[in-house]
Amino acid sequence: MKAWQRYAIFMVLGLVGGTAFAVQQVRGGLSDGVVPNGPWETGKSFGTLDASALTRAKVALSGLLALPAKEAMYFTATRDSDGRKLDGRCSYDVRGGTLDGRWWSITLYEGEGWLVKNAANRWSIPASAVSTDAQGRWYFTVSPDAQSGSWLPTGSVDAFDLTLRLYHPAADIIKNPEKAQLPIIDRKGCA
Amino acid sequence: MMRRWLFPIVAGGLVALGAYQATLLATPYALMYAALKKIGDRGPVNQFAFSPMTTADNQTIVRPSPDLAYAACVFDVSKGPVLVDVAPVAGHYWSVSIFDARTDVAAVRSDRDTKGAPARLALIKAGQTALQGYQPVMLQYDKGIALIRILLANPAEFPAIDAIRRKSTCKQVQTSN
Repeated sequence: MKAWQRYAIFMVLGLVGGTAFAVQQVRGGLSDGVVPNGPWETGKSFGTLDASALTRAKVALSGLLALPAKEAMYFTATRDSDGRKLDGRCSYDVRGGTLDGRWWSITLYEGEGWLVKNAANRWSIPASAVSTDAQGRWYFTVSPDAQSGSWLPTGSVDAFDLTLRLYHPAADIIKNPEKAQLPIIDRKGCA
Repeated sequence: MMRRWLFPIVAGGLVALGAYQATLLATPYALMYAALKKIGDRGPVNQFAFSPMTTADNQTIVRPSPDLAYAACVFDVSKGPVLVDVAPVAGHYWSVSIFDARTDVAAVRSDRDTKGAPARLALIKAGQTALQGYQPVMLQYDKGIALIRILLANPAEFPAIDAIRRKSTCKQVQTSN
């Protein structure tokens, strides 16, 4: 084999391999390489000049036009509190308490971040949709089937994620998102 | 024998590193370009397009919030500054954010920042100056997106909120400096 053929083979392999690895890394999800908190993950540099090339590419793919942390924080869960992937054929209780920010909502997405078609035409649970007890605790159900109380439909998709938006978060959460008291996601059963 | 293969392998490794980095760097620009085109199809450049509330059937941008009323302006400062005036919506969270072609946030102003007053931003690039009364936002790229978000606690509020947000404008200043 001639020298140029050896170079050509490895350069083509490098080009394809490097590009494929980058695509695989970017498609790895919005939250890879950032701050974990129970089943939730977030980042401190979304939308900012401080973001790494990988973070910027990930956010562009799965959360384009995201706001920086001082304005809003995005916590995404692809797994329940026991580490199992969120499955649209299963039912979950999402339970939390007071979230230290101006307003919050939890939205259900599939794929790269698309709202799921469902008969109820409901895609999120905002703070105003849950009942809180005297201690500020609340819960709602995520399920493929209609439930009593606050209910977020899964549309029976194979896999989904939940994104918790916290607008105007408290300074402590911006600084230490890994210590924030975030909701738990408890799987109840599967169809 | 080894040397015959060593240098091609090293060259391939360097190409792989370059391809990896180039793909990461190009991804935000490519996805933003697609977003500019998608939003731009709904209205002229330097003008707000006012979207209905997002549902599963009308999603333009990935990971939308169904609780927010959005208005987006694809801007282009190549021919002069672009002025963004955002009408305040009393009693509601609202913000305007400026995203550049690399997807970075160049500026954000919310009702908390303006204390309920309108937000007035002048989008400029090097060599241009902002008009008096406008907060200058210096951009590294000609194109980007200005995005208004307004929180609706109750979907029934939409018609009233929609009437207010349509007072917001995004327009180019014809005489560049």
